[in-house]
Amino acid sequence: MKKSLLAMIVAAGAMQAGATSYEFDVTLKGYQGEATSSVSYSGQIARHALHNSLKKMVSQGDEAAMLQYLSGTEEGRKLLDPVSKDGFAIKQSSIDELSKGKDLLSSAYDGVITGWPGNPTGQELLKQLVELAADSKQGYDPVNGYDYVQLVSKFAMGAVFYNKAVNHYLEEKLEADQHPNNEAYKEGVPYTGKEHVWDEAFGYFGAPAHGLELTAEEVVQITKQNPEYFAKADANGDGVVDLKSEMAFAHAYYAASIDASAGTNYFHTIMQAFVDGRQLIADAKGERLTDEQRTELKGYAATIATAWQQVIAEAAFKYAGSVYSDLEKIAAVEEAHGDVSKSFRNYVKHWGELKGFALALEAAGRDLGKAQANLDRLIGFSPVLFGDAQVVAQNGKGEFVQASAGSMQEYKLNMLKVQNLLAQQFELKAKLEDKTGGMSDVLKQIDAAGKSAEND
Amino acid sequence: MIENFVIWLGDELAQAGSSLLDASKRVSVFYLFAGLVFAWLVLTLRYGVQGWTRLKPYLSWRIWWHRSARTDYQLWLANRLLLAILIPKGLTQAIWISWLYFFWQEQGFSDLQLGWPTALVMGLFTLCYFLVDDFSRFIVHWAMHKSPWLWAFHQVHHSAKVLTPFTVFRTHPVEGLLFFLRSMAAQSLVISLFLVAFPNQVSLWQIFGVLVTTFVFNVLGANLRHSGVALSYGPRLEKWLISPAQHQVHHSVARQHYDRNFGVTLAVWDRLFGSWHVGHDDQRIEYGTHQAIDEMNFLGQWLQPFKDCLTLLKLKASCVGRLLYKTLRQKKRPTQ
Repeated sequence: MKKSLLAMIVAAGAMQAGATSYEFDVTLKGYQGEATSSVSYSGQIARHALHNSLKKMVSQGDEAAMLQYLSGTEEGRKLLDPVSKDGFAIKQSSIDELSKGKDLLSSAYDGVITGWPGNPTGQELLKQLVELAADSKQGYDPVNGYDYVQLVSKFAMGAVFYNKAVNHYLEEKLEADQHPNNEAYKEGVPYTGKEHVWDEAFGYFGAPAHGLELTAEEVVQITKQNPEYFAKADANGDGVVDLKSEMAFAHAYYAASIDASAGTNYFHTIMQAFVDGRQLIADAKGERLTDEQRTELKGYAATIATAWQQVIAEAAFKYAGSVYSDLEKIAAVEEAHGDVSKSFRNYVKHWGELKGFALALEAAGRDLGKAQANLDRLIGFSPVLFGDAQVVAQNGKGEFVQASAGSMQEYKLNMLKVQNLLAQQFELKAKLEDKTGGMSDVLKQIDAAGKSAEND
Repeated sequence: MIENFVIWLGDELAQAGSSLLDASKRVSVFYLFAGLVFAWLVLTLRYGVQGWTRLKPYLSWRIWWHRSARTDYQLWLANRLLLAILIPKGLTQAIWISWLYFFWQEQGFSDLQLGWPTALVMGLFTLCYFLVDDFSRFIVHWAMHKSPWLWAFHQVHHSAKVLTPFTVFRTHPVEGLLFFLRSMAAQSLVISLFLVAFPNQVSLWQIFGVLVTTFVFNVLGANLRHSGVALSYGPRLEKWLISPAQHQVHHSVARQHYDRNFGVTLAVWDRLFGSWHVGHDDQRIEYGTHQAIDEMNFLGQWLQPFKDCLTLLKLKASCVGRLLYKTLRQKKRPTQ
């Protein structure tokens, strides 16, 4: 009830602003073609489809097939996820139907990633993870504690989608000399430079165009292809879900999922800022944006970038909590002399998610200051393994080198510190799977009061 | 390099200045004024129109610009700069609390699952936080008077010949460091225990972003305790709360007032430790230590404690030496 009320308020707000959906007419001056919509981000949706498909392939272990979806650009690649299922038909079945010649790797972050042995660039790391996945048992390496399905997927979402959107389109591409609004983005297209720049960022977020009309829970169920929510997904009622505008992918899904569990408002905050920013560009009616308009647009971009970063940090926070719980379970099973392999598998999976999201935070050229070094140190290069070992480096042959670390139980303390660090650095609100008992809120109160170095 | 230093210096001084407008700081103009109003109300109620004359020391320019008061201001700023360097940056409250929170759980202490409403937990937490904080201030302060080594540093605070609200900052940096650690240890202890016992329910009861007890204490004249305005709460209330007059007794140079009223807010600790002393509106008190340090500027205030420590050390060494000499001689005698 509360959530639907919230959605109604958000939707009402959008009505006032003029748009409830990410649909905008052509404003380009002198456009002679037949197109009526100026919205286009099919290349970004193709990359979402590549990411989803790559995730499927990692769990199968075929390197050549993985590379097709990571760095290949060839035609004829099959869409592996999402695919049609009973009660939830998908319009497209191949990558080409979305956009041709697209790959993931070349769009990935090319700056350094400090949280992985050898300080690779984002692109090098993504490639390395896929190669390592090929050598593992369907994406699982129990010796070093790696779940490559999770590492590849969570890191790729950050290094490609988040990076391209906030570090590229919502940053440098908003400058006056880049893709001005009084010119076509390129010859023959029905959209202006700034319209397309904004659309590409929106495409990377992965929200359905009618996201403002949906509740967070509905967005989650659409990604999960729950047949009961098919009508909610199929906005134009043509009987199939068009991935180009009706599906929720990647961080849009995570934002909605966090909101649905915690009652926060990340998804609609980001979605609204995208719609408002795009409305501002449309209102310029094909004229060059003034400095004031660009300043306002940058305000929307900042809202998006901050909330997007928070979504990734919220996800890392949640999985730090899961890792903590897993370690508790492992201790309990060990004490009862039970079989720990299942608990260990969950631990490795959740660690992969934690690490993937934490690495994603580093992969968009945003300065995290001391927090980045602390996250790297606290999480380490691998989970703490049986025998109290942890990966500390890679040798010349690319093999992981382990050394003795603190105990698995001590590693739990690191997870508490990770949660505190994330909550404070990114001012998190949802804080799912909080294992600190709400410590960051108390710390905030104490910090505000200041330390007392005086007595009487 | 120099540019960075100048920026840092500017920032620190600006921050010191901003305490004057910050409701979380005792010397904010808001509390300075609130203290005045409180005292005026009480004294007018007790002494009618004449009550106003008793406020003179609080408003006297001679007091606020007294040599001793100027040393207070120097120490306030100089300590601020020094403590910014001395206080370990890496040792944050978050690390202490995380470690303790984890430690209690490893010892088997866990969520009490009492199902108490959050408002009750908040009230209980605020009360415990206040009690532990107040007691820890009392006990550290008590120790500073009882140990000659610690007194060497604490005498800086007592060397004030006139009291102004800024005398609260007249401390030696070593004492500042000790109180920083005290505040961290006391707070971490209470917070970590409550977080384990009542997860996700712990928060402080605050007014304008300030702990409710601190707010009430400050509004009701905390600044008067470091002033020449003698204001007693009356013998009955003074058994529970330390009045400005009682704290002025603590600063008295008179022998009968030595080591009295160590408490900050609550008087119960002093009663438990036998150091409680009643205050009076008509008390006449001379402040200071009657030692050379009373006349020193901030640099002297910084250095004298170390000199005194050195003297103490020499004294100890000569005592030990004498004792050693005696023992050796006694051992030698039988063989002669």
